[in-house]
Amino acid sequence: MSNYIDQILKERKIGFAIFDQDFILSKSSRNFSKIIHNNLITPNSSIWEIFPELFGSEDQVSAVVQNKQKKYQIEKVNKYSDGGKLHYYDLTLLPLKNKAPNLLCIVADTTTETSLEQEIRQQKYEIELLQANLSSYGNYLSNDILGDSVKIKKVREFVGKIANIRNTTILLQGESGTGKNLVARAIHRLSMEPKSPFVEVNCASIPSTLIESEIFGHEKGAFTNAITNKKGLLEEANGGTFFLDEIGELPVSLQAKFLSFLENKKFRRLGSTQERKVDIRVIAATNKDLKQAVENNEFRQDLFFRINIVNLNLPPLRELKDDIIIIADHFIRIFAYDFKKKVKGLTDHAKTKLLSYNWPGNVRELRNVIERAIIFAEGDKIGADEIILAEEKQQAKVTQKFTIPENGISLFDIEKKLLLDALSKTNGNQSRAAKLLGLSLDTFRYRMKKYSISI
Amino acid sequence: MSEKRIVLSKKICMLGSFGVGKTSLVRRFIYDEFRENYRSTMGVQILQKIVSLTKDNSFGIKLILWDIAHIEKFNRVIKNYFRGSHGAIVVCDITRSQSFQGMDIYLKPYLEMNPKSKLIFVGNKIDLVDKNSFDMEQLLQISKALKSPFITTSAKTNENVDELFNKLGTLLVKAE
Repeated sequence: MSNYIDQILKERKIGFAIFDQDFILSKSSRNFSKIIHNNLITPNSSIWEIFPELFGSEDQVSAVVQNKQKKYQIEKVNKYSDGGKLHYYDLTLLPLKNKAPNLLCIVADTTTETSLEQEIRQQKYEIELLQANLSSYGNYLSNDILGDSVKIKKVREFVGKIANIRNTTILLQGESGTGKNLVARAIHRLSMEPKSPFVEVNCASIPSTLIESEIFGHEKGAFTNAITNKKGLLEEANGGTFFLDEIGELPVSLQAKFLSFLENKKFRRLGSTQERKVDIRVIAATNKDLKQAVENNEFRQDLFFRINIVNLNLPPLRELKDDIIIIADHFIRIFAYDFKKKVKGLTDHAKTKLLSYNWPGNVRELRNVIERAIIFAEGDKIGADEIILAEEKQQAKVTQKFTIPENGISLFDIEKKLLLDALSKTNGNQSRAAKLLGLSLDTFRYRMKKYSISI
Repeated sequence: MSEKRIVLSKKICMLGSFGVGKTSLVRRFIYDEFRENYRSTMGVQILQKIVSLTKDNSFGIKLILWDIAHIEKFNRVIKNYFRGSHGAIVVCDITRSQSFQGMDIYLKPYLEMNPKSKLIFVGNKIDLVDKNSFDMEQLLQISKALKSPFITTSAKTNENVDELFNKLGTLLVKAE
């Protein structure tokens, strides 16, 4: 009979044990210790030694043995077997009426079902983690204003301060690629609710005939192709941030309407007489000199004054030499992750190359350079050869930037300094120093001799 | 070497969304190991370790760690996991803002069941962010709302992991 019960218990993967009123093991089925993967059970083991999961539940266990509580259960307890395989079991405690109060402990091996459930959950969570990773890396790109330089610290300081004042229009100015969009998103993130909208419109990318309808929306029949009512981007941004990029390209005809909107936060859709009100923060950005545009009658002065209440000039990357490597490292982490490469940084030569470049395309250009370098990188560090720069632009910019001071300059000194700088940047490597200055090695050595430079 | 004198045993629940690294923190603490592959926990895994709170090991606290699976909804099963807990380590993944949200689902019932429980709020995966530029503001606000200390950790690089459990041990001893 006992064998018969054991056989049933084995097939059903259920085991049992009986504990006395002092919680000492008095009897157990043969498979009990196997199900809970505990080989150290002895006849005198207490329930607390066998099941550490009951710690903290002493009151409930006592209540069950005294028949004050019907049962106590802990499901899906994880246990590793000696072979390192993960098993699951459910533990149920029931009162057992005997001469003295006893406790019936039933353990059920749920490894098969729980493992199946685990596989399904695992897939679900992995998908969600992947989606979150993609989105957080997107945020990472957009939200972090990287760098330790004084200029970048000032940008961060500005963002922190302005984030607390929601009603002010902000004007972001800076060359293309300096991160105006990134700063706008950072202000939005710091000042708005997490799920509030961030609506972006680039005035240069929308045909002037469509831009009014895009921003303000339209009513059915407002113009030939207006077959339905359409919300404008201002309405889409309600409760959040409206980022008007390249505001310098906003058609003059529309500037008055936008100014009116900024004044009272009210507007009408095209073809509608109904006034609509939205609660939004407006951030405008431009790489144009708006003052000059005002002088050229390309931009309304009143609109310029209205949007220029709080402004921030974003520094070009060439003025952030201290930050170039920090930003490059940041992009390395992102693209190494994206392209599944084990690249962890830059060689010293690659750093020198990045630092000696003028970065006319600013951070956007740096990002592209790093992305390309990661694709072609073979080792764990990006080398100088993998950094491909627009050399022609670099030379052109250097030439453009250089002007002779009013009190004149010594060509001798300049030339000597350039040679010394080139040697310093290449750690004394004359071939590479010559290359940096666009000279042959012979010419370079000739000039070293001319200026009595020796290494 | 003097033997540890255990005077306290405390049940600790590891709480937090899926994939934040609860199991990794426990594994790092108990076995000093880290697994790159993610495997979601089902149910509960119970492990324990003694933390020495004095240099001469004369005073220790046994932490019985309940590594609980991500809780999608509170039910009877979870209630039994929470019962009698003395402390909780609430873990989030600092690279994933979704993991800071929806904590009420488990924290509210947990605190109702264990009002005197000590909490520590943990921002795990600190190795994945640039510490100089990472904005901690939101996490510090959550920590303030929870009235719990905040600590950043990395189970992967073993940053602050022992410190986390030692800190909790100290809090529990002080509460005695």
